[in-house]
Amino acid sequence: MSAVVTETRGQYRRSRGEQVGLFLRGDWWRIVLLGLFLVGGIAPLVMAFLISLKTIPQFARQPFALTFPLHWENYGFAFEIVLEFIKNSMIVSGVTVVGVLLLASLSAYAFGILEFPGRQVLFYLVLSLMMVPSAMTLIPSFVLVKDLGLMNTYWAMILPWIASGQVFAMFILRTFFESLPRELFDAARIDGASEWQGYWRIALPLSKSMLGVAAILNILGTWNNLIWPYLTIQKQALLPLTPGLWAYQTEYFTRYGLTMAGLLIGSIPLVLLFIFTSRWFVAGLTSGAIKV
Amino acid sequence: MAVKEMPALSNTAAQAVDVQERRKPLAKRIYEGRVAYTMLAPTFVFLLVFMYYPALLGLYRSVFKWAPGLSADFVALDNFVHLFTKDRVFLNSMDHMLQLAAWYVVSTVGVSLFIAVLIHRLRGARTQYTFRLGMILPVVIPAIVPLMLWKFIYDVKVGPLNAILTWAGLESWTRAWLADPNVALYAVMLRNFPWVDGVAILILLAGLQAIPYEIVESAMIDGASEMRRFWSIELPLIAGQIKLITVLTIMWGVQEFTAVFALTQGGPINSTMVPGMWMFFNAFRINKMGYASAIGVVLFLLTLVLTLINMKYITTEEY
Repeated sequence: MSAVVTETRGQYRRSRGEQVGLFLRGDWWRIVLLGLFLVGGIAPLVMAFLISLKTIPQFARQPFALTFPLHWENYGFAFEIVLEFIKNSMIVSGVTVVGVLLLASLSAYAFGILEFPGRQVLFYLVLSLMMVPSAMTLIPSFVLVKDLGLMNTYWAMILPWIASGQVFAMFILRTFFESLPRELFDAARIDGASEWQGYWRIALPLSKSMLGVAAILNILGTWNNLIWPYLTIQKQALLPLTPGLWAYQTEYFTRYGLTMAGLLIGSIPLVLLFIFTSRWFVAGLTSGAIKV
Repeated sequence: MAVKEMPALSNTAAQAVDVQERRKPLAKRIYEGRVAYTMLAPTFVFLLVFMYYPALLGLYRSVFKWAPGLSADFVALDNFVHLFTKDRVFLNSMDHMLQLAAWYVVSTVGVSLFIAVLIHRLRGARTQYTFRLGMILPVVIPAIVPLMLWKFIYDVKVGPLNAILTWAGLESWTRAWLADPNVALYAVMLRNFPWVDGVAILILLAGLQAIPYEIVESAMIDGASEMRRFWSIELPLIAGQIKLITVLTIMWGVQEFTAVFALTQGGPINSTMVPGMWMFFNAFRINKMGYASAIGVVLFLLTLVLTLINMKYITTEEY
């Protein structure tokens, strides 16, 4: 029994031989089961990849297995269309996330570090917004954006998304700022630093990883939004990726090779983001479990 | 993914300062807080214009019969009365929403728990890491991609689901999965098989790994079986995480209609209609904006009640 104990606990690197030994002594069926889940989850993407290399006649003859010659030109065709959507998404999600981080960090600093009359009341005012579902504001926001003349502009997405995205970002940043030692800020004040300097030179540099987490969560949210851009953007040239792929698939639905290639190309940007920021990603996705 | 809790602004040092500060006249304290107000100003400008104003307008419009460009008629609570007494589609949509939310909870908690425990029991640290990464990777595929792929999988003529059934000799089972009112809701429900949810798995795994190993060790020395270890030790200790996932999934299930929108738009014959989709349909297809706002308010009240129940009874302090 004690052998089992030390093994399960071991977090040190094992040699290849040891790994094989562990595998034979009881991990194999767990690995097989987990592998089945992974395969099941990835199967649709593999299917998409196989179909993405087919012409219409190839698909009609042999829909799922690989057919030769491989038609990589499907990707060229899809790339030209989807690239435009990706560009729009990067602009919209990019500007949104910068706005969210700026506003959220400022208000989080005020709520977390500074003292002023009405702090509690204002804080609860913001907190109450977390109970308002997006469904309730959908129609009035649409009318508002229309009245402001923002339809068919990037601003129709950016401005409301900054407003709604900053609430959650503010909560996680405020919690983090509060956990910073107050002595840091007091010492800076005594040395004559203004609150702005405290924000810019102390709070922000210390919370880079938390800003990263907030940024990732925000980008995931705006990147995947289908309904709002669908309502506010009618010009195809301005569509971001998610509604763009939807429109693209509707347009080319029966040309399966092209649709599948488009869906796969559309998946690439977030995968790249994940590769470069996987640490923040994992922390961000579990931050639901962190007490806010 | 927003977690709803009420963090009190407690900070003993700050409170001590606060007591001293309160002796100063209010005007002076407000003047001294000018930097804070300046920092909050942009946030509140955005919130006022794009959050408070639409939210209040939504409440206000829900008691009108109103279409854009036309004059609004005040109808008091008629919209709500109509919703709950005459609107069969709406009542059915609530039923569909409940079924979907219940399934989302069962599948998310069940499958994620199973996978998390499997990963936790892996003995090789490297295999553990690999599978953890493998489970989280699908999260970065844009949500619309699996939806579109499943729309294709369910396709009546070329979809692989029917192809597999035909291949297995179950030709009589094949059907237009998303266009058959008898099965469309279940097709929407069962999409994304095998329902791997990377976020839930990570949360549960974090909970499992936080259990002090001494507890498990002593039970194992006393001869507890693997099943016993799970039911009597691990499950009670990650109850907090399970509750959290349940609450988040329910909240999400109430509001969510992107999947229905992308797969069926509520059809066929409203068999997959959910309240969010019905609101969308009323507002943007048949221009009944006031009536749609009333559906939005119902969803708001539902969320509010769920949040209050969550805060009062479910929120635990452990995690």
